[in-house]
Amino acid sequence: MKEKIIKKEQIGSWLEGLGKDYEIWAPVKKKGLVHFHHIESTKEIHFDFLNSKKTPKDLFFPQSEVLFSFAKEEVETTPQKARIIFAIRPCDAKSLALLDQVFDSEDYQDPYYVQRREGTLLLGMACTHPQRSCFCTSVKGGPFEKAHLDLLMADLGDGRYFVEALTERGEDLMEKDDSLQDPQKEERGKLAKVKEEAEKKVKSKLAMEGLEKKLDEIFDSSFWDRVHQKCLGCGICTYLCSTCHCFALLDEKDKCGVQRVRSWDSCMFPEFTLEASGHNPRISNRERMRQRVMHKFNYFVKRYGETACVGCGRCIQNCPVNMDIREIIEEIENERPLPS
Amino acid sequence: MEESQVVNKDSSKWEPRIIAFLCNWCSYAGADLAGIGRLQYPPNVRIIRVPCSGRINPYFVFKSLQQGVDGVLVSGCHPGDCHYISGNLVARRRFAVLKRILEFAGVEKGRVQFTWISAAEGERFSQVIKEVTEEVGALGPNKRFVKEN
Amino acid sequence: MQECEKELRKVAEKLLAEKKVDLIIGYEEGSLPIRTRPVFIQETGETSRLVWNSRCESNLCSYLKTIKGRVGIVAKGCDIRSIVGLVKEKQIKREDVFIIAVPCAGIIDRKKIEDILDGRELLEGVENDSQILLKGEGFEEKVDKDKLVHASCKSCGHRNPVLYDTLIGKEISQPEIGECSDLEEFASKPGDERWAYLNSEAAECIRCYACRNVCPACYCPQCFVDQSLPTWFGRTPHPSDSLIFHMIRTLHTAGRCVDCGACSRVCPMNIELRMLNKKAEKDVKELYHYEAGINLEELPPMATFKMDDPQEFIK
Repeated sequence: MKEKIIKKEQIGSWLEGLGKDYEIWAPVKKKGLVHFHHIESTKEIHFDFLNSKKTPKDLFFPQSEVLFSFAKEEVETTPQKARIIFAIRPCDAKSLALLDQVFDSEDYQDPYYVQRREGTLLLGMACTHPQRSCFCTSVKGGPFEKAHLDLLMADLGDGRYFVEALTERGEDLMEKDDSLQDPQKEERGKLAKVKEEAEKKVKSKLAMEGLEKKLDEIFDSSFWDRVHQKCLGCGICTYLCSTCHCFALLDEKDKCGVQRVRSWDSCMFPEFTLEASGHNPRISNRERMRQRVMHKFNYFVKRYGETACVGCGRCIQNCPVNMDIREIIEEIENERPLPS
Repeated sequence: MEESQVVNKDSSKWEPRIIAFLCNWCSYAGADLAGIGRLQYPPNVRIIRVPCSGRINPYFVFKSLQQGVDGVLVSGCHPGDCHYISGNLVARRRFAVLKRILEFAGVEKGRVQFTWISAAEGERFSQVIKEVTEEVGALGPNKRFVKEN
Repeated sequence: MQECEKELRKVAEKLLAEKKVDLIIGYEEGSLPIRTRPVFIQETGETSRLVWNSRCESNLCSYLKTIKGRVGIVAKGCDIRSIVGLVKEKQIKREDVFIIAVPCAGIIDRKKIEDILDGRELLEGVENDSQILLKGEGFEEKVDKDKLVHASCKSCGHRNPVLYDTLIGKEISQPEIGECSDLEEFASKPGDERWAYLNSEAAECIRCYACRNVCPACYCPQCFVDQSLPTWFGRTPHPSDSLIFHMIRTLHTAGRCVDCGACSRVCPMNIELRMLNKKAEKDVKELYHYEAGINLEELPPMATFKMDDPQEFIK
């Protein structure tokens, strides 16, 4: 598909052109943290970032959204404008494909999620500096991975970016700007080199073979007694995870009427499985930690054929007690199942 | 919530809406005495009876403000007169810290008020309501904690 | 500091060998540069994992809420005050905790390091007594540790333990701590400005509850925000609900918070709401002449009363 070169200083005007038909969402630095925000001006874009603090899943599956409401007066809803997410990383784009398995499946299509997904183009930015905590290559991803994106840009390191369209919609975005030049052989060589260097930087390599089966074997093992000990049971790993998607349905009443709200929830919270009878099948942190690992590396695999983890490393970076999923997986690989 | 409808007043003008948490044994009885004595006081107040001022949880105050109430009054027995001996004494410490935190956060002075009113103080009750209504009225509608959609 | 670490490991080894404790909770090196993390040691021979340095953040006392048996805990001055609080409130028995006190002149704030890095990845951090060397791809920077110390540590009035079973090393000098200048500056701003600041901080809150879970003073079996009968406040991250959560948590920990700073350290969104806790701490001191966690005898101020308590705020 179409390939172009663009200079860094031209990106602003290219996006401004696209901004006539699309809302542009890009990484913005606020209070020292990088998040994806809707930008009014391309000057707000923050280019120099490893990865955003919060994942872009919020743009498709918001932390809280009103599903419907009823009130005395009519409540008007504004239709969603088409969006472009600029500089999304390949791992986060992959996570959306995993979320599609849940929210846009054969059996069920969530209208709120689907409307956003169909109306959004993903303009990816390859990772030239994967972090030490990244392990995308162990979960079928990579810093220059093209799957699930409409376009992939890569910083060639000389003030220019290589731009490659990956879908028809991506090609349309490139048609709209004359400042994009055709790449020469030299640029393709540079791209290959930058890609190779980036892939070398992904130092964490996990042995994922047979993990699903191993997890089945150690379900009742005392391994879980040790693993959960320092976990605080907060929701940081869940809320900052690209693929976590559990939610609660709440009815909230306020001045404007009653709203049914879908809000993020975390399996690490004790009330997640609290039943109306008062019984809680996951009574302690041990069961909840086990559930988290099982869901991502066993249940999701059984159900959808893929690991529910893209190796972005946010859980490792942000856990207040430095729980490290890589260490947990390594221990599981080495653990001999104990008699239950 | 509808706009408050106030009898005998111009209904297009904003009137403060005040919630009063009154302890059953003293303050509520005082309010009752004011009623029996046909003492006039502004109708802006909505009374919620609680067994003791010690029952007042900060949640009540925050939730009232969040729901759009313009002022909150909390009233109990005078120290030493509590029906449950020490309910109001424990509450007094709670109220002191609560009031300071609310004002520190930027909730206007006078939105949330505390008082001791005994069962015999019907006259005083009506006076307090008049004052609180005026003071809250002067602050204008409450926007703190209110969720605007 | 290295001496303290060696002594700590010896003491821990002896405690486990003599079966004086069933478990030791301390710090070990983490899996990321400059990170340390809690470690639970039950076997002799594993105590070489224990470390003690300026990066030992996290208040380990939050684990005492659920531990069974006799526990040895590595505790800094602030942590020990948390333990005093928990014993006073009958959440743990004094005889079940073996306090291994470590002298602490301040723990660095990782967020200050992140500000210095400004988006660059830290690959290695090497510390000595006064500085920390930050290394990454194409950069090496030395920073003075006292510029990196967390705000709670700067205003710490109890570097030395108020209570302990064994002290590692010696007591250290305690500088005079005056009024918290940050708090005074904030309090002097107009009400609308304070409201705007607190709301803008609360708007960033993602309601992960890390602050609540790491706090040793927060041990309710069911937190008020998780109640559904009745549902007091919304569970969504609406700024109004989030600010109320933080303000009520401040009220619930008033007179019990020791300003260990753990809540502000664990926050992934860099929210700074310590101002509320400092205000409550100041008020309790002023009104009831009480400082949290100093001794086991004083009654918790919000659970008691005096006939002549101040009431000038009552109409």
